[in-house]
Amino acid sequence: MIRALVTKDITLFFRNQFFAIVSVLGLVAYAAVYFLMPKTVDDTLTIGIYPPEIPAVFLEETADSGIVFVPKDSEEALRAGMSAQDNEYNVAFLFPEGWVRTLALSHALDQDVTILFTSDFPDELKEAYVVILEELSYTLSGQTINISATEEVVGQDLAGDPLAARERMVPLLAMIVLMVETMGLASLIASEVEEHTLQAVLTTPVRIGHLFLSKGITGVTLAFVQSALLVAVIGGLRQAPLLILAALLLGSILVTAVAFLIGSSSKDLLSVMAWAVPVLIVLAIPTFGIVFPGATTVWTRIIPTYYLVDTLHKVVNFGAGWADVWQNLLILLGFSAGFTALGILALRRKYR
Amino acid sequence: MTHDAIIADAIIADNLSYSYNDHLAVDGISFKVAEGEIMGFLGPNGAGKSTTIKMLTGQIRPRGGRVTVLGTDVSAHPKRVQAEIGICFEFTNLYEQMSAIENLKLFAALFGVRDFDPVALLDRVGLPGRGKDKVASYSKGMKQRLMVARALVNRPKILFLDEPTEGLDPVSAEAIRDVIREERARGATIFLTTHDMHEADKLSNRVAFINQGHIVALDTPHNLKQQYGQRRLRAEVSQADGRLEEREIALDTPETAHAVEQLFAQEKVVTVHSEEASLEDIFIQITGRGLVG
Repeated sequence: MIRALVTKDITLFFRNQFFAIVSVLGLVAYAAVYFLMPKTVDDTLTIGIYPPEIPAVFLEETADSGIVFVPKDSEEALRAGMSAQDNEYNVAFLFPEGWVRTLALSHALDQDVTILFTSDFPDELKEAYVVILEELSYTLSGQTINISATEEVVGQDLAGDPLAARERMVPLLAMIVLMVETMGLASLIASEVEEHTLQAVLTTPVRIGHLFLSKGITGVTLAFVQSALLVAVIGGLRQAPLLILAALLLGSILVTAVAFLIGSSSKDLLSVMAWAVPVLIVLAIPTFGIVFPGATTVWTRIIPTYYLVDTLHKVVNFGAGWADVWQNLLILLGFSAGFTALGILALRRKYR
Repeated sequence: MTHDAIIADAIIADNLSYSYNDHLAVDGISFKVAEGEIMGFLGPNGAGKSTTIKMLTGQIRPRGGRVTVLGTDVSAHPKRVQAEIGICFEFTNLYEQMSAIENLKLFAALFGVRDFDPVALLDRVGLPGRGKDKVASYSKGMKQRLMVARALVNRPKILFLDEPTEGLDPVSAEAIRDVIREERARGATIFLTTHDMHEADKLSNRVAFINQGHIVALDTPHNLKQQYGQRRLRAEVSQADGRLEEREIALDTPETAHAVEQLFAQEKVVTVHSEEASLEDIFIQITGRGLVG
């Protein structure tokens, strides 16, 4: 009896072409997410350096070790490369002028070098960079040089006050609220079609444009109000509230557009779930890199939500301002506009 | 043609066609419905009734031909037309998680109707005291009455009713027929699709038979019966062993008088009735198929 029932259910499931297709697509999407994640630990050490003179022996010595030097023309440029905006490297060596010649001639066995670290750089790794510096100096001069390394933290110094796990989770929590709203709006759109209520509405003076606008307002309002409320409750609006709210508003527009796409591809709540889960997993990936630093690499920048969570992280946890994150907001605006256009096209096709 | 002349015909369908992929659902039909008239659109499932309603109400654009409703080209100005009409759909499409009053208020707002009393409208369709209940808790008959009420929120000049009484209990069906009669009395034009020939016969000024996308007959029920029907005399006669048998005599024939005389002279007549042909009889006669199925 049970076997017959199970056989019947499986048969019905796969007779529904939609679920059959989504099941296959889901498997492909999940596998794609897995393979898109970094296969190996990224052990490249990128180090900014000033003055920009890098001895050839340095490059030979470090060629196979994964150390990459980024020379800068000025001390300001060196520091800018560590800013929240550029984030080119997390460590930089600031040598005195003429240091190569000094070391090569071994005129002085004592050298003062400043090592710059970004504020969230782990303490336990800082000593390793001093050792690297000493090794390289030995290579250049042929004798032990007394390196007097001065550590300097660029940006807000988190020494003794590291980010708590819950502070790192602010962007993740905001994203969860936005994602729940995405599913809610998508299921609302799908149910309107499934229950034919849309047909009733569209045979009144209501135009399809009114419908998009109303759905958009509903989606953005629900997503924005709830995410802003959450961020306010957990203290995320203490710094630059307007900036945070602007980012959340753009994020709300983005997820509303995603909801349009999911809703227009779905027939009912189950199919909304089937589409939404893989999409939302991808959208949530940038938050993993904040909660677990090092878990993701630069490829996450192709995901639109990166620019939302990165903005929230920098503003809430590092006190970044408009000047630091305006590029993020601009890119987020672009993604939101693009996805909104796609969402409207998809819905228009569905409603016809 | 003057504007008044156009308005005198509330609906003008001129050579309408529509196809779903390769299937021609409606094939070049033409008809007019006068203001204040009830037009019954009769046909079996799949004959093209709902497709015709969709074209008349601007839900789909005809592949061929033209629809004019209240003097307006529907394809060119569907929203202008939709503001003046009410539609009761073939399938229940209410917001089931909202109450009846919320549903009606929503649609009144969409039509821009301000002085609107949902409670009075619900009373009118036979749903007193249930206005605050969620629609999901309603029976099929109650939902259908609410669908009719929703079609009335804007006091439409034309009411399109797509199978409004199908599958309903007799009480709900009669409540809806009462509303249709009241709307006709108010002056509304009513376009009614159904495959219930008794309903069409009772309510319609004229009926159109549609079959396989073609209108095969269009006239008043009386004229159709005159034209196609055959009047009969049906009698029950008692046999010697007490059994009842039926006798049928065709009227309007040269032999009728003699046959009637013979019946009463030679048989023990228990009951006798005269019968007209039903619309279904006529539909079968014209198309060779029934209205159901």
